[in-house]
Amino acid sequence: MAYSELIKDFGRIRSYLRSFYVYGFQHRDDFTRKSARSYDNERRRIESWLGGYLAFRQDENGRRMFFSVDSRQVPRNPLYRAFKTKSFTGWDIALHFYFLEILKRSEPLSAAAITDRLSEMLAGLPGDEEPDESTVRKKLKEYAGLGLVVQKKRGRETVYELAGGSPNPENWREALAFFSEVLPLGVIGSFIQDRLEEPCDVFRFKHHYILNALDSEVIFWILRAIREKRLISFVTTDGHEIEVLPFKLYVGTQTGRQYVLAETRKRGRLFFQRADFIEKIAVGDFYQESPDLEQRLEYFQERSWGVTGSNTEQPERIEMIIEAGPAEFFVVQRLLREKRSGKVEQIDDCHWRFSAEVWDPMELLPWLRSFIGRITDIRCTRDWVVTRFYRDFADLSRMYGVRRYDF
Amino acid sequence: MIFNEVYSSYYRVTAEILREAARGKLTERKLYAMVREQAFGESVLTLPEDLRSGRWHLLNRDFATPLREVPDPPLTILEKRWLRTLLADPRIRLFSPDITGLEDAEPLFLPEDIVYYDRYADGDNFEDPGYIANFRTVLEAIRNGVNLEVSYESRHHETGTLFVTPFYLEYSEKDDRFRLVGSGHKRRLTLNMAQIRSCRILTDRNPAPFRESVRKSVTFELQDRRNALERVLLHFSHLEKETRRTDDINYVVTLKYDQEDETEILIRILSFGPFIRVTEPESFIELIRERLRKQMALSNAWREVAEQSGNKGEKQGS
Repeated sequence: MAYSELIKDFGRIRSYLRSFYVYGFQHRDDFTRKSARSYDNERRRIESWLGGYLAFRQDENGRRMFFSVDSRQVPRNPLYRAFKTKSFTGWDIALHFYFLEILKRSEPLSAAAITDRLSEMLAGLPGDEEPDESTVRKKLKEYAGLGLVVQKKRGRETVYELAGGSPNPENWREALAFFSEVLPLGVIGSFIQDRLEEPCDVFRFKHHYILNALDSEVIFWILRAIREKRLISFVTTDGHEIEVLPFKLYVGTQTGRQYVLAETRKRGRLFFQRADFIEKIAVGDFYQESPDLEQRLEYFQERSWGVTGSNTEQPERIEMIIEAGPAEFFVVQRLLREKRSGKVEQIDDCHWRFSAEVWDPMELLPWLRSFIGRITDIRCTRDWVVTRFYRDFADLSRMYGVRRYDF
Repeated sequence: MIFNEVYSSYYRVTAEILREAARGKLTERKLYAMVREQAFGESVLTLPEDLRSGRWHLLNRDFATPLREVPDPPLTILEKRWLRTLLADPRIRLFSPDITGLEDAEPLFLPEDIVYYDRYADGDNFEDPGYIANFRTVLEAIRNGVNLEVSYESRHHETGTLFVTPFYLEYSEKDDRFRLVGSGHKRRLTLNMAQIRSCRILTDRNPAPFRESVRKSVTFELQDRRNALERVLLHFSHLEKETRRTDDINYVVTLKYDQEDETEILIRILSFGPFIRVTEPESFIELIRERLRKQMALSNAWREVAEQSGNKGEKQGS
């Protein structure tokens, strides 16, 4: 099939975009195990859509392409462009514009009447191709589903009119510019922003993981299932199929990851599933919420430091004591604002204890390491967590040539 | 559901082109220029010809169209539902959108459906009337390109007056805070919105020129153990970066960051422990060493484990 800039399915391009954005060190050979032509086409598309955000390097293994963008410096997520590339047929786009004009200028019309008007309008163009009534009806039904037209009954006849009462996007300019970047499914806000006369550039975004946009389709179905209390079944990138009850969407503001907190249908095991590892997803039947769900969720969430662990394990206790003098309250403030669960207590003038009960104390290690230079003690009911911390610290010290008596 | 052609760039550009054609003002040059400016890099290879050839049944070779006005499409249900979702977010109070037309739309989700599990706990109070008033004044000043007089409380609780040309408002998802970035008193300023006590628009001063932030870079080696490659690259993915593979498991990463964020970048690099080894600049390495030395001095427990794992360094000069 001839190359096209537009695509039918988002799935494949999603993984390519991710590779170029997150990794960016791979060469053509790293991608071409399956198909060299497929790689060439996807790379060419991405270059066409996002040219200004890409960089190239030539080295001994060939040329490589990667995203070179600091998301703090752009007011709009460039990856949203990838969602504006869906392919279509000649009649898809033709009917879109003819419907808008025909219905804008008249009272509600039947599919037959719309087909007649269409025929009159097309008479001014070369060629004698015209869509038949069933094609028109099918497209009208699709547009009714999208909310662009309203389907009504007039006597026994089905008629269509343009949907009315839309808010004016110009009245939402700044709200759109902000929420399109910070709220899940912000790509939808980006679609609305495309209708504005001029883009709104008053905001920038720090710690902004624009990559999450690529999972919008999956997130849409997860959130819909959460709201409607329905099961979801999904297939992960490593081929696992599972049906679960979804409860919450967990968004990492420091990791660039999104997860669904879900419960397995058979065993009642609560766990987290990464959204970017979900390849296919479908919303299933409605489920009956168990009476103790709220209580169980609260207990589970209070002991979740991040997104690992499960309610089939026992929680562990972990604590860290840090040194912070009376003039160093900013360190204590860090503890207070960054802790996600547990408590902070003052031991004496210069020492503070953080303690928590968590499903997986290993998950705290990166955060504990960020207090290096302040830690006077770490304890955990799982000894090896403490051992790991000090081993890593010893490795780190050796790595930078800091020896035990260098202080 | 989301990936649909009605939201596509091609539909949007085509609408603009058809409007020109309906006004009788479309020319070949204009057609190509519009596609180049508003569509993708290679769209110019196909879109103009698809339109002119009659394949899309919208335009003929003479740039005439049977359409007379090309109205904007109404918002889709998905778009209305997304707008309705914003109304449940406390931050919507910072704006005052007209909600007409959304009465029947169901939100796609509610704030309670989302958990920002690693967000800091001391974010801005978006519902405070004083905060909202200041926010709107700042927004107006940015919109109109005018200066502000700001009464600002410093970290040390001292309040002073600043004259600021605002450039933009920066929101951090991690901190859940807005910062006003601007220029004043001959330097670039970053002010926490929550520390602005009051502000007013000034129209009698010329706006100061935009000042770029000072950029720095740090380079580190990364070994792909315990899934470190994915964790590190995803964690720093929002920064401008370049990654090179040196062999099967070793990589070299260079990050660029704003000078004012150096401490934050240092803490974040430390959080990855021995998976990351900073190789340059020397000044950054020294910042790491300083923290390690402080930790050595504080911790007693490390000694036993350090000895077990082979770090038998002796006191210098002894």
